[in-house]
Amino acid sequence: MTRSTALNGKSGAARVAVVAAGIISPLGCGLAETLASLQAARDCITPVTRFSVDRCRCKTAGQVPDGRVVVERNGRRGQRLHRASHMMITALEEALTQDRQFEPDLTVVGTTSGGMSYGEDYYRALHRHDDLRRSPTWIANYPPQKAVIDAQEAFGISAPCEVIANACASGTNAIGHAFDCVRSGRYERVLAGGYDALSELVFVGFDSLQASTPEKCRPFDRHRTGMVLGEGAAILALENFEAARARDAAILAEIIGYGISTDNFHLTQPNPSGSGARQAMERALKSARLAADAVDYINAHGTATPLNDATEGKAIGQLFGRVPVSSTKSMMGHSLGAAGAVEAIVCLLALQHQFLPPNINFRAPDEDADLNIVANESQPASVRTVLSNSFGFGGTNASILIQQFKT
Amino acid sequence: MSLGIAGMGWITPLGAGIDLVWDRLLRGEEAHAEKIAGQCDGQSYTVFRVPESVLASLAPHPRLRRVSLISRFAAAAGLEALANARVKLDLKIAGRTALIFAISNGGVIYTKRFYRDIIESGPQAASPLLFPETVFNAPASHLAAILGITGATYTLVGDGAVGLVAMRMAEEVMANVAIDYCLVVGAEEVDWLLCDAYRRWRLLRSEAPVEPFSEIAKGMILSEGAGAILLARGGPLKIESTHAGRYYRKRTDAETVLKQILSELIEAENDFVIASANGTFVDQAECRALSRLVPEALVYTVKPALGESVGAGGLWQIIVASQALRHEELPPLLHAPAETRLRIPTIRMSVRNARAAIVLSCGLNQQIAGLRLALDG
Repeated sequence: MTRSTALNGKSGAARVAVVAAGIISPLGCGLAETLASLQAARDCITPVTRFSVDRCRCKTAGQVPDGRVVVERNGRRGQRLHRASHMMITALEEALTQDRQFEPDLTVVGTTSGGMSYGEDYYRALHRHDDLRRSPTWIANYPPQKAVIDAQEAFGISAPCEVIANACASGTNAIGHAFDCVRSGRYERVLAGGYDALSELVFVGFDSLQASTPEKCRPFDRHRTGMVLGEGAAILALENFEAARARDAAILAEIIGYGISTDNFHLTQPNPSGSGARQAMERALKSARLAADAVDYINAHGTATPLNDATEGKAIGQLFGRVPVSSTKSMMGHSLGAAGAVEAIVCLLALQHQFLPPNINFRAPDEDADLNIVANESQPASVRTVLSNSFGFGGTNASILIQQFKT
Repeated sequence: MSLGIAGMGWITPLGAGIDLVWDRLLRGEEAHAEKIAGQCDGQSYTVFRVPESVLASLAPHPRLRRVSLISRFAAAAGLEALANARVKLDLKIAGRTALIFAISNGGVIYTKRFYRDIIESGPQAASPLLFPETVFNAPASHLAAILGITGATYTLVGDGAVGLVAMRMAEEVMANVAIDYCLVVGAEEVDWLLCDAYRRWRLLRSEAPVEPFSEIAKGMILSEGAGAILLARGGPLKIESTHAGRYYRKRTDAETVLKQILSELIEAENDFVIASANGTFVDQAECRALSRLVPEALVYTVKPALGESVGAGGLWQIIVASQALRHEELPPLLHAPAETRLRIPTIRMSVRNARAAIVLSCGLNQQIAGLRLALDG
């Protein structure tokens, strides 16, 4: 409160630096493994092992191997934490290792389902009259804010938390809102990110909608048949640019724009005109005071469902023409509330290492969308400004713009 | 930046509508407690529900045909807040209005039904109609569609403090000069499954009433409904200060965190406090913090009358604070202990000298937040 009060009243919009980042996803644990997977165009989709999918259409997902998730800390208490908490702890640990001085004034994190599998354990045991001795643990560790608080506690952070559940746009909304908070001068340092762990309820939900595919995930491909789910956690440490410079913090990139729109067309379907997606991207550009032709790469929402890719593709084509586009969900699945944050880190790596992340499993372009897809292999490129999109159920659309920082 | 309350909407187990519910609270009425049966082990639970007659009176809308109760509550409260403010969301105003939704347990009734079908009959029985309604932001999406809001819509999740966290976020969103209004809505629906969970967590009371600030925490009664607050730039009721909130690690730490937040919100001795005491461990934490830091302040909690509505609870508290400031009186605190360290309104009591109200929300799952509300001028 003190720091934000001190910053109030500063005139003009502050620049917003990314000073640290951490990630765990099917692509790997940490920035280095993630980069290697992206550059190698690794397909990290595997058969689902966490629950039975025998009677589902889709049988695959992007999963974080158990051995990478479990964090041996906090003793017995740590064993009670949900897998989502462990993923958040892992991501936050990497970010804080990069910048040990970073003390957030606020934490903004997106999720769609919190510790859902604990809710499933509890209801299943209740329904089947099974052993309910663990139910207090399941119930206490199920709420969506728990993973965020657990991660903060693990590192002695006591910042207030805002947990956004805007479906699949949650992660980008969290970063976008955190960006607004720093840019407006209300806060100096904000942790932002997203997390979600695979759960049966959500997996079967997407299967019931026939949104997930029994085949390969092929975003923007003419013969795409749907998405595959994923999981993960990612955290970015955002800081007032001048404050970061003053303490000689390493600046990984700058967030320069954020756009949000609400598409009132349907609870699960985007407006076929692409207007909601387009509005979010336009608002991000406006917020950054940037022309569309300044964007060098777009990390698309690209779920590979026929409807999403058609509308997003239309909006991208109208606004950006032939700018390189890829959906990295093809490699790791759709991690829902984590996706926006995971993909922001993909963009960060693209800016730092000057390459275009690939859209794998791509065979044939969609006749209805004239897009420049980064097909199947990563490509070296000069990348200065990137756009990352996330669109979700309920018609929530979010876009952020990230720019390379050069000393 | 000065934000004011332009309008409010309220749907509760004691009825719907700001004036109606307020009158009933002033008269010392409490919601009717009813029993609902669990479906797994024959257990029954006491809850405060929104009466059928109130549900029947809610305005229909095509978008609300198959939705969960929580979405219907939210729509009713949101529409009342706009009507109360005499704001009509045409295309231009809707484009300059943000929506922030506070939620805790979400659409639990549909979520339970959806998962029960999976357990009983397998994934092929899962309903594609139910699944979208299980998503946390479904109620916000319905409300945004009904109101025509095309800009920022956020659903915030958390415990009982989430309503106040949403108010803080609204203030952050309104730092953007392109936003003229922000509608903050909190909603919750009650179900036996939630009751069972809170019972296993040892936070639930089997029978009414809720006894606030009791030395022995006997538990809470869950309730349902929604509260909505339309924030504008200015207005007679001003949000003077929102606290970003903190979290407590252990229940025994809640008092310390409450004191920290309270000390940053206290301004004058004649402020009164709308607390979140609900019959659980929260009560004694609040009691100790309040008696230490504001021993002369009148303290009221609406939860004995309306129950614990978790995601909606914080919004209900703000509505109570606003009404008390506006009407210069507090309702009687129901079922309070005969002896307490707090100054409590045992009967309807004047707060004519109060300039401001502090609202404190201590959630059951580690979050605490607060704000100060005042009559402008």
